[in-house]
Parts: sequence; C-alpha cells; structure tokens
Amino acid sequence: MWTRDGRALPAGAALTLSTLAVVFYYPVGSVLASAVYDAGRLTLAPVVSVVSDPFYHDLFGFTAYQALLSTAASVVVGLPGAYLLARFEFPGRRFLRSVTILPFVLPSIMVAVGFLAMFGRTGLLNDVLGIVGLGPVELTFTLEIIVLAHVFYNAPLVTRLVTAAWESVDPARVETARTLGASPFQAFRDVTLPQLLPALLTASVLTFIFTFMSFPIVLALGGLELATVEVWLFARVQSLALAEAATLGAIETALSLGLIYLYLRFEATQLSARDEGRGRARAPLFAGWRSLADPKRLALFAYAAVGLVLFVGPLVSLVVESVTTAGGQFTLRYYEFLLAQQTSTASGTTRPLPAITNSLLFGAGALLLALPMGVVVSVVATREGRGTRLTEALLTAPLAVSGIVLGLGMLRTLVFGTTLFGYRITVTGPVAIVAAHAVAAYPFVSRNVTPALGSIDDRLVDAARALGADRTTALLDIELPLVVPALVAGAAFAFAISVGEFDSTVLLAEGVDSATMPVALERYTGNRSLGPNLGPATAMGTVLLAVTTVSFVLIDRVGGRWDR
Amino acid sequence: MKRRTFLSGAGTAGAIALSGCSADPVNQTSTPSQSDNTLTVATYSSFTGEDTAGNWLKSNFEAEHDATVEFTTPENGINQFIQRKSQGAPVEADLFVGLNTGELVRADEQLDEQLFAATDGTVEGVDSVKPGLDFDPDGRVVPYDTGYISIVYDEGEVESPGTFDALLEPAYEDALIAQNAQQSDPGRAFLLWTIKAKGADGYLDYWRSLSDNGVQILSDWEPAYNAYTNEEAPMVVSYSTDQVYYHGEGVDMSRHQIGFLNDQGYANPEGMAQFVDAENPELASEFMSFVLSTEAQKEIAVRNVQFPAVEGVEPGGDFGTYALEPPEPVTFSYDELAGNVDGWIEDWARQVVSN
Repeated sequence: MWTRDGRALPAGAALTLSTLAVVFYYPVGSVLASAVYDAGRLTLAPVVSVVSDPFYHDLFGFTAYQALLSTAASVVVGLPGAYLLARFEFPGRRFLRSVTILPFVLPSIMVAVGFLAMFGRTGLLNDVLGIVGLGPVELTFTLEIIVLAHVFYNAPLVTRLVTAAWESVDPARVETARTLGASPFQAFRDVTLPQLLPALLTASVLTFIFTFMSFPIVLALGGLELATVEVWLFARVQSLALAEAATLGAIETALSLGLIYLYLRFEATQLSARDEGRGRARAPLFAGWRSLADPKRLALFAYAAVGLVLFVGPLVSLVVESVTTAGGQFTLRYYEFLLAQQTSTASGTTRPLPAITNSLLFGAGALLLALPMGVVVSVVATREGRGTRLTEALLTAPLAVSGIVLGLGMLRTLVFGTTLFGYRITVTGPVAIVAAHAVAAYPFVSRNVTPALGSIDDRLVDAARALGADRTTALLDIELPLVVPALVAGAAFAFAISVGEFDSTVLLAEGVDSATMPVALERYTGNRSLGPNLGPATAMGTVLLAVTTVSFVLIDRVGGRWDR
Repeated sequence: MKRRTFLSGAGTAGAIALSGCSADPVNQTSTPSQSDNTLTVATYSSFTGEDTAGNWLKSNFEAEHDATVEFTTPENGINQFIQRKSQGAPVEADLFVGLNTGELVRADEQLDEQLFAATDGTVEGVDSVKPGLDFDPDGRVVPYDTGYISIVYDEGEVESPGTFDALLEPAYEDALIAQNAQQSDPGRAFLLWTIKAKGADGYLDYWRSLSDNGVQILSDWEPAYNAYTNEEAPMVVSYSTDQVYYHGEGVDMSRHQIGFLNDQGYANPEGMAQFVDAENPELASEFMSFVLSTEAQKEIAVRNVQFPAVEGVEPGGDFGTYALEPPEPVTFSYDELAGNVDGWIEDWARQVVSN
C-alpha cells in the first residue's frame, strides 16, 4: 500500500493537469489564440484595434467601476454576517451557515424575477414603504439595482469565507490585548483583522473578478446603457466576430490573472503557522431582555433586518411568484405544468425529475472530482519556491476566464471534435459535464484549503516525515484532518458551482436526457403553453431552491462528522 | 480511518471519471446507426416538446410517411452550424427550422461555401407563400410563418402612440421597454423597423432622442415582458399576437393593447432550409412540403402563435379573433440587410452604451 500512497500525490497532480488540459486549457486556448493568430500568422491587429478604441476604454473603465462598487458593497454586507455566524449562538445558526451560498446556484433570470417582485416600482419594498408613508424608491434600470444584485450573489461568498477564518481566531490573543488596555476596536484592528485579512481579501478578489465578468444580470435588470465588457463579448460572439471576442476575452483574462497573481504573492507573505486556537465560544445572541439594549446586539438586529430585505426578500418573492397569476391570484398551475412535463411523452420535452437527478449526480461527481483536484493545487500552492505563485495563478485560471469564452472553446473543440489518427474525437455527455463542472469548482476548494493548510505548523508534518511517513501519508493522515472545515466549505462551493452551472452543461449535454435543473428552467422560460409569463420557470426555480437547500444542509452535516 | 477511506475513494472516483473522458473517446467519424428514414431537424428549443408546433409536425409527418423525425436544439441556433461548416466539422442535421433574414445574411457572409441547398422545385407549395415574406433571393430558405413586431401597451396608463415621433413626446417619458438588438429577435426587429422608418442616416439621431426620453433596453424578450408585467413601464416591444394569450373572462385586456406605429408592423418571417450536407435530402423536401400544407399551416399558426406564411390560410379560433395584423407589414429584404445589418446594430449599441 505504501508505494501507492507514495505515488498518489504525483498521480493526482497528473490527473488534475490532464483534466484541465482537456476541458479547460485546450478549449480556452483555441479561442484566445485567435486574438493574436490569424490565417496561420501572428498578428497584433485585433489587440491594437481594441486597445486604441476610446469606446473600449470607457467600457473597461465602467466595468471596473461597477465591479469595485459591487465588491465594496459585498464586503460591507458580508462582513457583519461572518461576525454574527462566527461569534454568536442562536437558533438556526447552523442552517443559516449552510444556506449562505444558496444565491450562488440561482439563474440570473430568477434573480431578476425575485428582484423586480421585491424592489420593483410596484414591488413588496415599495408596498411596505408606502404603508409607513415613505418612498417610493425607483431602483429598476439603475446602477444601484445591479450593485444590489451583485451583493445578493457575492456577499454570501464574503460571509462564508470570512466566517471560517473568524472561527479560528485565537481568543487568548484578543483577551491578552484587552487585558493590556486595548479598546475592543483596537483589539479587533490589531489582533482579529490581520487574521481575517487573507480570507477577506480572497473573497474581495473573487467578488471583483466575478462582477467584472458579470453578464446576464446586468441587462436583465439594468439595461444596455450599463453594459459591461462581457455583454459586448457576448454580442461579438453572436455575430461571429470571433477575433474581436477573443481579444476582449484575452484582455479580461489577463487582467483577472494579474490580479490573482498579485493577490497570491500577498497571501504568501501572510500565511504563517498559527497557534491551534479553536475559536472562542459563541455568545448567545439572546441573553435575556436586557441584552437587547446592548448596542452591539442592536446593530446586529438592524443588520438582520437588512439581510431579510436583501436576501430573504427576493427569494421569498420568487416563491410567491410561482403561486401567483399575472393578475395576482393564487394558482397552482405552474406546478401542474411541471407535473404535465414529467408525464409528457412528446419528444424534446425536458422533464423535471430527471433534471433534479442529473443535477444531484453531476453535483456529487463534480464534488468528488474537485476535492482531490483542489487539494493537489493547495499542496502545490503551500510549497516554497521560485515560480510557485505563478504556477498557482495559472492553476486558478478557471476563475479568470469568461464563461462565454470557455463555452465557445468547448463548442469548437470538444463538441465539434478534433481529428486524431483519422478519427474525429468528440468529448461530450455526462462524464464531460462532470469534468467541466469540477474544473469550474476546484479553485473554490483550493481557495478554502490553501490558507488552512498554510496555517498548519510545519513541525507536525516534519515530525510525521521523520517517523517514516511519505508526503502523501502525511497529507492524508496529518494535514487534511486538521483542515476538515475548509474541505467541507470547499465541497459545498463545488456542489453549488456544479448545480448552478449552465453554459457548459447545455453545450455538452447530449439531448434532453442530460438536462439539469437550470437547463430545465431555461427551457420552461421559453415555453408559451401557459402564455407569455415566467410562471413555469419560477416553479422550477422554487424546486431548485428546495433541492439545493436540503443538499447544502446535508453536505455540512455529513462533512461535520469528519470534523473532530 | 474513515476519512482516509473517503479521501482515497474520492481520488478513485475522480480517476474513473477522468479515464472516461480521455481514454475512452467517442468515435464519430460519421453519424452512427442513422437509418435512411430518420430526418434530423435542427430548431430552437421552444419549437419542440409537449403541445408545440414541432411535436404536431413530428407525429403527423411520421403518420403519413415511413420516417422518424428527430429534433436537435443547439443553444446557439444557426451559429452552431455556421461554425461547424467553417471548421469542417460534420453538420449532423438535414434541415434547419426557424431561420430569419439576418441569420441567413450572417451565414452567407461568414462562409465561402453554401450551408443551405436551393429547393429547385422539390418543395410543393413554395409558390403559394406570401410574396412579401419570401426573403431568400437564392431560393434556399422557405418561409413557414411570421410574427409582427408591435407595441403592447396599458391603455389605463397611456394612449397608443400611433407614430414613431410620438414616442419622443413627454407623454411617453420612461414609458417604453425594448430589447437588445445584439441578442434578441424582437429587439433586432424593432431596431430594423426604426431604420425602415427613419432611414440609415436618421435612425441614430432618432434613437438618441428616444434614449433621452427614457427608453430602456433589456437583454431579451423574457426579462422585458416580465418588467412590463411588473408595471415597470406602460409599454413594451412585443408581438401583435399578444391578445391570443390574454382574453376571455376575468382577464384585464386593458394591459394587452396592441399599438402599431405609422400604421406599420415589422414582419419577422421564420424560414426553413435543407443543409447541403443533409443525409436525407428527399425526406427534407417532403417535410418542407408538409409544413406548407394548409392543415400544417393552421396548426403551426395556433401552436407557435405566429401568422401562416401561405396565402389564404385562415387559422380560425382564438388565433383568428385575437391575433392582429398591421395595416402595412414592412421588413428589410436580404439584399438591403447584406453588408449593412451588423454595422447598423453595432453603431446603435455603441451609441446606447456611450449615451
């Protein structure tokens, strides 16, 4: 057995790289190459024409501006959530923690439906404001509502990543600082914040990149005047102006990768062995009536109210829309529609139950594949050495590439096929879908696991190696058990990425049999059998929410059993 | 050692999934096991499934012919086949259903070879297609239905604007939701309609005024219509068949009024064409002839909620009562769009973004 163990790590690295090569680097490379390669010759013409066009300066400028606003807002909204979850005990805390990444899986058209029903001119918020004599607020078609939608998607990311870090802050140090006369704020700034910083910056960098490449939600809620680079890229692909599309994609990727690289270099200076602090006990949120007068708690209740409006509001509105006719009456027609689709024998019908099963199977497969891939990358990342940061940045590239570019690349290489030795080889179907999902997901695993691995005392590993354990055994028996919370968090992200994925799923699916929940939802969006409304899609969206809620709770519960 | 088992299990599962991906590739030099009697129809996804025109065509065509109809619905529509052709990948379909003029122009501009074959008298009923809808000068694409783009408005909030110029008046400030012509069919048709009305020299000025008056351009028809349903604005660019969905008792039809501008509606005909690389060209011709039959034309109109393309077909029923035709249908011909449409749309989009 020991020989296999000894080779597991290099083998894992080889498998990770070959999966990446097939479903990521090759497809993406085939597209990005056309930015600098035309008719067999190197050319700078497409890059020069984009870089010298003032229109694109403004477009990139605005895209960065809205991404910066969205990132700042996501941090402001996400950070108190981490404080609440890490430092206070209250009924439903574990549930809340499990479902924080729920927004991640929601298709943009559903977020648009939920947001209009909540924040629209005649939405719930304005109804409530009207009752107390305020408002109305006009948010639709503004930059504000796009930033809010980005916060809806990304603040949970901040919360989730920072909560994990906050839970491992050594309370003894905070106590020491307080005993030495530091105010609570000083103790936070000098002791807690430095330990949260890596997680906080990771979340900020990811949020910035995601919102920089934000696409469908921008035009669904804001309108073309607020177009981002990605909107433009999609339009170029639609009209098959592929060189220009590739150029835009290459610039986006270069900017994102550069940011990731800078961040990783910073992170490497921050990672150091920490004492084994197992987090200070959580204070009860409700400790008698008197605790309600505590300013800290009052602030948290105010925050909870904001969270209720911003997160619960659109989600509940979506569920309400699924049982409401356009005229405002209660109806179950949209769910009857789902049943009718399920029992239909017509060819080309996307049935809800197989879509649920496929989503769960692909999600589980992506999780099982992404975990080892992410761990391998984390092991590479925690090594010292020249070029490690660059390697790590390149291995994080799936975060930095536009979904549209990846989709186009997959179409041209995997779906259309490549001719090898007289055979046309295509890579599609469930296995390819799972591989594509895992590639999209593993950076989330490694982003969770790397900081945790880096904080393990090196002496532990050295001791194990000195006692005869090889590198793989040390990893499996010593290191990974110490970072189970990070692995579970990564697993939840991997599952969420897979369940929410649409672009490559729809490309690689062979007919309606491998449709997932988001694909079914998109099909129902275009279905007119109940008239031109999104009712059937909102019913499917509600099903998606229910299935993923249960899944996230299960992942956290099951994963928690491996924790000490 | 439970977690150890779990971790190596995960590794093994990963290895298996991976080997399925790279070591066991699908070999598809030619479409395997396709019988001579299978017709593969490429179309958009909402054309297929329960209660759709596609499903009706399939079962009725199969009943009359010794053939099986299979649908393929690639997400990126005709672009999939244009790209396949330009890369030398197999086309893997016999027929495309759901092509409009702009898409045909794009296919021809992108490709050096032909993607579609001319019908050359093999399709019955081509002569009875309304002349105004026939959009392919080379006789490859056969129109089978058409929609008319119009305004849908709430008569409790605004009056029918009646003209393009009226849309610039203060009464219609922040009143109209349209769609992005770069990615949406009705959005593109509406933009082309304004070019028809204001000319290629005048439409950008017109749109500048329209933007100043607060027109909103959302990504596609669904979010636009959803925003209209949520009363974000009293008018939306949509189809003149809107009332087919909204009529009868208890339905407030005041929110589903159809407004034509300058007494026009922009026709957006949908056509079908046989791929040059079709494996079953005869069957494709028979299918196209069947689509043009009176019975099929009526069914397509009702199920696809579009107007028949063949002269003299009256669908009757709710469709006949509630689908409105513009007094003067307008549309751009193939030759007018060729070489122009991409530039028109890009100039427009750049102006909207920069405004």
